[in-house]
Amino acid sequence: MSVRQSQKEATRKRVLDAARDLFETRGYEETTVREIARVAEVSVGSVFTTFSSKGDILSQVMADRLDALYAELDRVVPHLRGSTADRLRSMFAIHYAFETRRTKLFLAHIAAAYDWTLEPSSRPFGRNPHLKQVVKDCLADGVTRGDVDPSTDLDIAVDTLMASYAWTYRLAAWNESDAETMSAVFDKHIGLICQGFHPR
Amino acid sequence: MKHDPLTLHGAQEAEVRVPTRRALAKQQTRAKVLAAARRLFSEEGYEGATIRDIAAAAGMSTGAVFANFTDKSDLFREIMLTDMASLAEVMREAAHRGRAVDDCLLKAFSAGYAFYKSQLPLARAAFSISWSPDQGPELRSMAPVLALHDLITEQLLAGIERGELSQEAEVKLRTQMLFDCYLANYPEAIFLGWSIDALQAKAKDQIRVILAGARRG
Repeated sequence: MSVRQSQKEATRKRVLDAARDLFETRGYEETTVREIARVAEVSVGSVFTTFSSKGDILSQVMADRLDALYAELDRVVPHLRGSTADRLRSMFAIHYAFETRRTKLFLAHIAAAYDWTLEPSSRPFGRNPHLKQVVKDCLADGVTRGDVDPSTDLDIAVDTLMASYAWTYRLAAWNESDAETMSAVFDKHIGLICQGFHPR
Repeated sequence: MKHDPLTLHGAQEAEVRVPTRRALAKQQTRAKVLAAARRLFSEEGYEGATIRDIAAAAGMSTGAVFANFTDKSDLFREIMLTDMASLAEVMREAAHRGRAVDDCLLKAFSAGYAFYKSQLPLARAAFSISWSPDQGPELRSMAPVLALHDLITEQLLAGIERGELSQEAEVKLRTQMLFDCYLANYPEAIFLGWSIDALQAKAKDQIRVILAGARRG
C-alpha cells in the first residue's frame, strides 16, 4: 500500500469512528459533516474526498457493523436446533439484540432508506440481501426436515417475514422497547406465518 | 365616540363582517402555504424543504407562514391528515366491493397503492419521518391511520362471521401484520418503480400467507 493509500485508509477509519459516535449520541439529523470532521481531526475537504454525503457515511458505518452481525449469524446458524419457527426466532432475536445496542444509529439507518441524496452504491436498510438469503436457506431446510410445506413460495414467505421484522422496529422508535420486547412480539408473528406454511 | 350608542351599534355590525373576511383571507393563506409545502416536501424531502423556501414558493413572508402554522412538522401533519383521511375513505369503499376476505383486503390495499402512486415522493417523506422518535408516534396515532387499522380488523371479523376464517384467527395480530405488509411494499414502488399490478400481485401473496393459518378446515 502506498503512503497516500494508507493515509486515505486512516482518514476513512477516523471519519467512520467519529461519525458512529456522533450519530449515536447526538442523532443523525443533528450531526453535521463539519462536526464529524472536527471530531475525526481531519479537514471537511478530506471527508468529501472519501464520502459523497452524510448519508454515504451512515451507509458505510452500518455496512461495517452489519458485517460483524452477519459473521455472528453465520457462526450461530449451523448450531440451531428445533423447528423452523424456533430457528427463525433465534435468528431474528440475534438481530434485535445486536441492533438495539445502538438504537439511535439503527433507526437513522432505517430512516435513511427513504433519504433523497443516497448514492446508488450505498446499502440502506432493507436492501441488504444477506439476511434474506439466510432466512430463505432456513426455510428450504425446513422443507427437507418436513415442517415446511414443499409447495410454499419461499420468496413470499421470506418477504412477509422481513416486512414484519422491519416494522416491529417501530416499537423501538416509538415506545423505546428493548430487544426482548421486540423479540417477544416478533416470535408471535413468526409463529403465525409458520402456521400458514406448515404441511397439513 | 365609544359612548355614542349609534356608533357602537355600527361598530358591532362591522365586527361581524370583518372577522369573516379575515377568516376567509386566513383560510386562503393556509391553503396557499399548504399547496407550496406539499410541492416542496415532494421535491426536496422533509429535511430539504425549509420554511423559508415554502414561504417564498407561496409568495409570502416566513412571518405569515408562522402566523398560521407553529412549525414545519405542523405543516406536514396538516397535509398528512388531509391525505390520510381521503386515503382511508378510498380504501374503505374499495374493501366494500370485495367478496371473500382476501379479496376485500386486496382491493383495499390496491386502492391505497393507486392513491399514492401519483405522490410517491410525499409518501417517501412520510415514511422517513415516521421513524423519528418525536414525530413517529404522532403520525401513528392520527385518526385516519387508526381508521386503516379498523378497516383491516373489520374485514377479518367479517371473514370469521362468514365462516371463511376460524374463530381463533388472532385478529389483532393479523391486523398488525397485514398493515405491516401493506406498508412494507411501498419501498418497492418508491425505489424500484413497481407498477400497481406488481404491487397487487405481491400483496395478494402476502395476504394469502398471513391468512393461511387461519383458514377453516
